[in-house]
Amino acid sequence: MLLLEYHSLLIHQILTERFNGPTPATIDQVIPDFDGVIYHISTPESKTKILVSLSIKCYRDLLKYGAQDVLQREYGGLIVDPEPGYDFSLLVDLEALPEEKEQRDDLIRRVSLLKRNAMAAPFERAFDTHYHLAAESSKFTSESAPSSSDTEVMAIQYRDEEAIYIKPSHDRVTVIFSTVFREETDRVFGKVFLQEFVDARRRAIQNAPQVLYRNDPPLEIRGLPGVNDTGAGDVGYVTFVLFPRHLKPERRDEVISHIQTFRDYFHYHIKAAKAYMHSRMRKRVSDFLKYLNRAKPENAETVKERKTASGRSFKVQS
Amino acid sequence: MSIALRPYLTCVRASLTAALSLSNFASQTVERHNVPEIEAGKSPELLLNPLTISRNENERVLIEPSVNSVRVSIRIKQADEIEDILVHKFTRFLTQRAEAFFILRRKPVKGYDISFLITNFHTEAMLKHKLVDFIIHFMDEVDKEISEMKLFLNARARFVAEAFLTPFD
Repeated sequence: MLLLEYHSLLIHQILTERFNGPTPATIDQVIPDFDGVIYHISTPESKTKILVSLSIKCYRDLLKYGAQDVLQREYGGLIVDPEPGYDFSLLVDLEALPEEKEQRDDLIRRVSLLKRNAMAAPFERAFDTHYHLAAESSKFTSESAPSSSDTEVMAIQYRDEEAIYIKPSHDRVTVIFSTVFREETDRVFGKVFLQEFVDARRRAIQNAPQVLYRNDPPLEIRGLPGVNDTGAGDVGYVTFVLFPRHLKPERRDEVISHIQTFRDYFHYHIKAAKAYMHSRMRKRVSDFLKYLNRAKPENAETVKERKTASGRSFKVQS
Repeated sequence: MSIALRPYLTCVRASLTAALSLSNFASQTVERHNVPEIEAGKSPELLLNPLTISRNENERVLIEPSVNSVRVSIRIKQADEIEDILVHKFTRFLTQRAEAFFILRRKPVKGYDISFLITNFHTEAMLKHKLVDFIIHFMDEVDKEISEMKLFLNARARFVAEAFLTPFD
């Protein structure tokens, strides 16, 4: 349970159940996911036609960066007109399922990765731009290579106050997360966690992407609409620098899935640390209480009846 | 108890034992009232000299004795932002449970993190030396607890960061 799953567990479960269940059944479920994403899984027409709809805050940003193509590639014939109130819909027909079990499992997996695939579009585009620029710059010697600072920065406003910025260049892809801390404790804990992200590369994992952390907008994204330096320090900017090693085509899907989970993973562990502290304090407080109760003298009732040698009993007068 | 802390705690123990010679004393300003004089502060002649015991600039204890009550305030070591948050959370946790801790004051005295108010009724109902024991035990444990929590947080952060970055390797 340390790392988060990339797919939506509930969708996976429901589909597996329906695909293998003997009788079709009516489904009507709304499933929330990270980052304000909402799925609606229902059977509007007949029990064998499952409609999976997705609502995502930054769908317009994603469309701008080619989400349509990515979704078309992943889902092809399943795509139908979006359900009212949602951004994107898929229709799975239980009567037209593939025969083999592996293909069915693959279909379930693909549908449950709907959010990941929608969010992957800008990353894929950035990676492609990187390949293109790398191929171009390899024509030059390292000294005369053109500086490629004029590439477009892609901004995905995936939460109300938080965004991902992606900037490709010929030797790297920079991914910047902006993150807001709601309270002071989160901010301090977040700082401790991020410091360890920054140091991890130096200490243990040499090949990991470089991680940088700062409280003012990095140079790459300064001046973009929506980026304003309030100076209050409640917004943090986490930069991941992906080197060509991470951008190899065979690892690309894995890297895209993984980096998407960063924000949720990070906040999840801050909350987990807080919960642990809380239970720890609770235990400590009950220890203190026990210690304090020792200060109370023994209760009066516990004064035992004493007996004389002849067998008569008497109470000790206090 | 660590060696470095011992002289400090011994000093607090001795001073506190000396200060805890309390007697029942009804209010002389309001008839039929019996209030802790250190909190009321209406009659200066009933208050004794307050005493501060400092270990360093960040750790100190203030003992304010009076005829029928003693107020003990503790400032816990806070070296950085994390300890600051942890101490704040921990003391808040305690003061919210002040009812159970008879002698705990709901609000700390200004400049300190946590305060205790011991009245003559407490010393009558409970054993005096055990009360002193409790405060010394508290001071000893609270430092330990805070530094353990801080270490734990760092260890956890390191583990989490490495777990996230390993798949890129």
